[in-house]
Amino acid sequence: MRAWLFRISFSHLAQYPGRTLLGILGIALGTAVYLSISLAAASALQSFQVGVTAVAGQAEWRIQTPGAPLDESLFVKVRRLASVAAAAPAVESVLSLAGVHRGPVLLLGIDPFSERPFRDYEFAHAGVLSDTAWTEVLTRPDAVLVSGPLASLLGLKVGDGLAVMVGPRRRALRVAGIFTSRRGLYPLDGAVLLMDIGPAQELLDRVGGLDYIDVIGAGPPAEVQKRLQEALPPGVEVVRPSAQGSRTEGLVASYRLNLAVLSAIALFVGMFLIYQSVTLSVVRRRREIGLLRTLGMTPGQVLLLFLAEGLASGLVGGLLGLGLGVGLARGVLAVMTQNLSSLYMPVAAQEVGVQGGLLLQAWGLAVAATLLAAYLPAREAARTQLRAVWHREELEEIIESKAGLIFGWGLVALVLAGVGAYAKINDGPPWPGFVAAFLILLGFALFTPLAARLLGQGLQPVLRKILGPAGDLGCRYLAGAMSRSAVSIAALACALGMLIAVTVMIGSFRQTVNDWVSRAISGDIFFGPAVFSTAAYDQYLPPEVLAELRQDPDVADIYLYRCVRIPFKHRYILVIGGSFEVLARHGGLWFRQGDTRAIMERVGRVEGGGEEEAIMGQGPGKKDYTATMSHDDNRKPETENRKPSVVISEPLAETLHLQEGGTITLPTPSGPQTLTIAGVFYDYRTDGPSVWMDISLFRRFWRDTHLNAVRLYLKDPARVPQVQARLQERYGDRYRLLALSHRDLRNGILRIFDETFALTYALEGVAVVVAVFGIITTFLVLIRERERDLALLQAIGASRRQILGMVLVESGLAGGLSFGLGAACGSVLSLLLIFVINKQAFGWTIQLHFTPAIYWQTLILVLTLSLAAAAYPAWRAIQPHLAAILKEE
Amino acid sequence: MIELVEVSKVYHRGPEVIQALDHLNVQIDAGEFVAITGKSGCGKSTLLHIIGGLESVSRGKVLLDGCDLAQLREPARTEFRRDRVGVVFQSFNLLPLLTLEENVALPRVLQGASYDQARQEAAHWLGEVGLSGRQGHKPHQVSGGEMQRAAIARALINQPAVILADEPTGNLDSVTAAQILALFSHLHRQWGKTIILVSHAPEAGSAADRVLRLADGRLLA
Repeated sequence: MRAWLFRISFSHLAQYPGRTLLGILGIALGTAVYLSISLAAASALQSFQVGVTAVAGQAEWRIQTPGAPLDESLFVKVRRLASVAAAAPAVESVLSLAGVHRGPVLLLGIDPFSERPFRDYEFAHAGVLSDTAWTEVLTRPDAVLVSGPLASLLGLKVGDGLAVMVGPRRRALRVAGIFTSRRGLYPLDGAVLLMDIGPAQELLDRVGGLDYIDVIGAGPPAEVQKRLQEALPPGVEVVRPSAQGSRTEGLVASYRLNLAVLSAIALFVGMFLIYQSVTLSVVRRRREIGLLRTLGMTPGQVLLLFLAEGLASGLVGGLLGLGLGVGLARGVLAVMTQNLSSLYMPVAAQEVGVQGGLLLQAWGLAVAATLLAAYLPAREAARTQLRAVWHREELEEIIESKAGLIFGWGLVALVLAGVGAYAKINDGPPWPGFVAAFLILLGFALFTPLAARLLGQGLQPVLRKILGPAGDLGCRYLAGAMSRSAVSIAALACALGMLIAVTVMIGSFRQTVNDWVSRAISGDIFFGPAVFSTAAYDQYLPPEVLAELRQDPDVADIYLYRCVRIPFKHRYILVIGGSFEVLARHGGLWFRQGDTRAIMERVGRVEGGGEEEAIMGQGPGKKDYTATMSHDDNRKPETENRKPSVVISEPLAETLHLQEGGTITLPTPSGPQTLTIAGVFYDYRTDGPSVWMDISLFRRFWRDTHLNAVRLYLKDPARVPQVQARLQERYGDRYRLLALSHRDLRNGILRIFDETFALTYALEGVAVVVAVFGIITTFLVLIRERERDLALLQAIGASRRQILGMVLVESGLAGGLSFGLGAACGSVLSLLLIFVINKQAFGWTIQLHFTPAIYWQTLILVLTLSLAAAAYPAWRAIQPHLAAILKEE
Repeated sequence: MIELVEVSKVYHRGPEVIQALDHLNVQIDAGEFVAITGKSGCGKSTLLHIIGGLESVSRGKVLLDGCDLAQLREPARTEFRRDRVGVVFQSFNLLPLLTLEENVALPRVLQGASYDQARQEAAHWLGEVGLSGRQGHKPHQVSGGEMQRAAIARALINQPAVILADEPTGNLDSVTAAQILALFSHLHRQWGKTIILVSHAPEAGSAADRVLRLADGRLLA
């Protein structure tokens, strides 16, 4: 019996292949987008995790100092501990290949004698590295072991040279051997170099320092950790190696979540298509339902009949989507890798790992979405009274009479959305905000029937006057065929709403970032390593360059900048040391409250710091901060009543609920330091929330003399191009430094911004394409079903132009209404995205900047599409075959 | 006067060729009430549609007051359908979105009359067919007989010279069918319209001045 029922459904699907195909394509596109985002995100993160696992090897514990090197003397101390079975020191850095092939490469400096228990390197020549190679690795300062994948990629063999950029300097290395990983796990997709730790420290300018010590414990884990912690000085932490991976996942969690939600929207719009397709099927087959019910079919069987139709579309569309999604994932991965690398961390994933679980999840989601979408019209069909079945007009009357009620439900959805928007979350993804977004979409979708009726009725007298019968009938059809067209209008409105909201949000964000660059980043020239990435914390400015800059007659002031990334409360944050006295003079941060200059001066006023710093005598602000180091090494932590001041970024304040005047206790190499929060500033970096302090304070706590970059304030800002060119000429090739003007910096930031949101726009584009499928399907079906009416109109004297006009008026009004609802919905959604979701997910305050262009561009797009979608079926309907259409059954 | 000269109509259904009308010659005078009868599929509806300009001929001429319908281009055919003929269908073919009054008024509006004028006239014609007081109803809210009366009023509103009725009683019970036929007779008598009524029911012939019997696309003697 059921098989027979399903045959009825399938024969209907086959009878209208175009419409069926559009429905299937809608679901397929939604599924494909969702799957490609999931696969690409999983592959990118898996690549990173593989790197973490490969580097960690068998290590159970990792000893490190947040954002600072460890003293290498600790290694001997740790190895001698009874609770330590094995220990291995390491330094590591992500360098750039400097040959024909560019790209990141991980340099690991290891102690070959301590390594064996930890990492499973396998060397060429039957698993044993030749004596010559070992001798080279241990004795030559430029000898490296190259991973098999990298050697294959670059065609390297033993004895070859390999050029890399270490920060600003180009260094020539020599391949002493080639190694492989037994388990095939490599960081950075296989781009790895191994080096003896001593030469590596020299190469990376970290003599005497270690990045971490890996440990295998002897005894119960808790005991090992306790013993280690007791033996280590303050500021040194003992963590599980996997913590790095989970913190990194946390860093990119919001990025992933936003993409996942956006991709789900394409599926959501696809659901409308299925809903609409099944609804149209129910409407068109009401007589058939009536007949089947009259013949004894139960409501349950009717329900199954229509669910089967939706299910078939879901199954096929889902399968098609899986194929498309896997194909798309490679392209998405390339964009995502670029985004993650420029925003968060070096990622070098190239291959998409097709995970069965994700495929199943996407397919399941597609099927569930279609079943859910098909359920409502199917239930409506099952519940329909027999009499109504025979008279479609009665259904229209029912919907018309319920339009007010449906509108009321829409209002309820909006009120609930308001509640969701105000719901505060302490941590994690902003789920209430996302729920509010879907409620807003739903709310405006529910406004459609009443809006269609009011628009049709309201415009009828006007359009009748202007366009005659075409205007009159077009309005009537819009107002009177809601069972068919309302869903399509709602679907298109939702897609347009999302498009408008995301565009307004991105436009506002872009403008805010632009303002932020102008207001919050002062300086005429930004000078540092030529790595336009926020992940380059270990790229340093050569000290001799700073000394030369101080003598430069064009330079009035120099702002010093040092940044480290430290783990803090299950996430990474940035700690930035800067010259606050310089900022106080020139401005540079944009505080959400308080007097900027007073805050800067307070942060720059470091106890015992000012008087120790030698003024270099080249004008105000040219202090030699490097001179403060040795005096501060043994300084005790600040006492409670003399807490130094710092400023923190808004995202940090929002995520940890910190406020101006409060305190924050940071883990530092000098032990935990409690600091007063002098101000909270707007900040739109993507690589983590940040704490800013005066550089002398930073150096006191971190015992670090490095600088990542400087900002130069010129005596004559008009000379920026000349000074920029001179610096580039003098240092560009020698140290691979880059001098950027303020305008260059702004353009660079906005370029990365645009690249980041390219994927977002692509996702929105897909949602709109899916919705356009809906509007085309609707008009194809609507006009096909109305062929008889149209033929009748011609029979009683309507001209072809009048018929065409009527159809175009209706489709134009439907498009216009979709736009109107979409614009209203999009505007509300944009407020939610800007003031709630972004605030909760990233802690960013975005200034609202409406983008009028998106409104009129969308209007033109929708009207064009609506009119085009209706033009073909309308043209078909006015072909001279009246008699055939009107012929009695 | 309507004159069909050697009219043939051929349909192609796949490889099959169907001769719906075969060298037909008919002459109908102005003011005449003609019933065309015959078995199902004999070509009577095709003949009506050709006279009404809904369908073109494969061969031959259809002359209305000397004007050959086949020579008319589409705009002129539209005007012809709108101004010169009124059509009544078996299944009423009222637009479900419109009230009876609006359905009736529609041809006048299409002709260019103002809405108020058209609605006034529609109310008059609805009265003529016995539907006063039903103007505001939609088609699905009235009976089959009432729908057909409204369809007749719609056919009359532009005061065409010719009324074409295609099986107007086919969907009605015998009592209502008799009332509708009586209405046609009344209209013929009162307004002097040329009425061409197609029906397979023999009783349709009793109301007409002349009965044409069709079989296999030809007139029976």
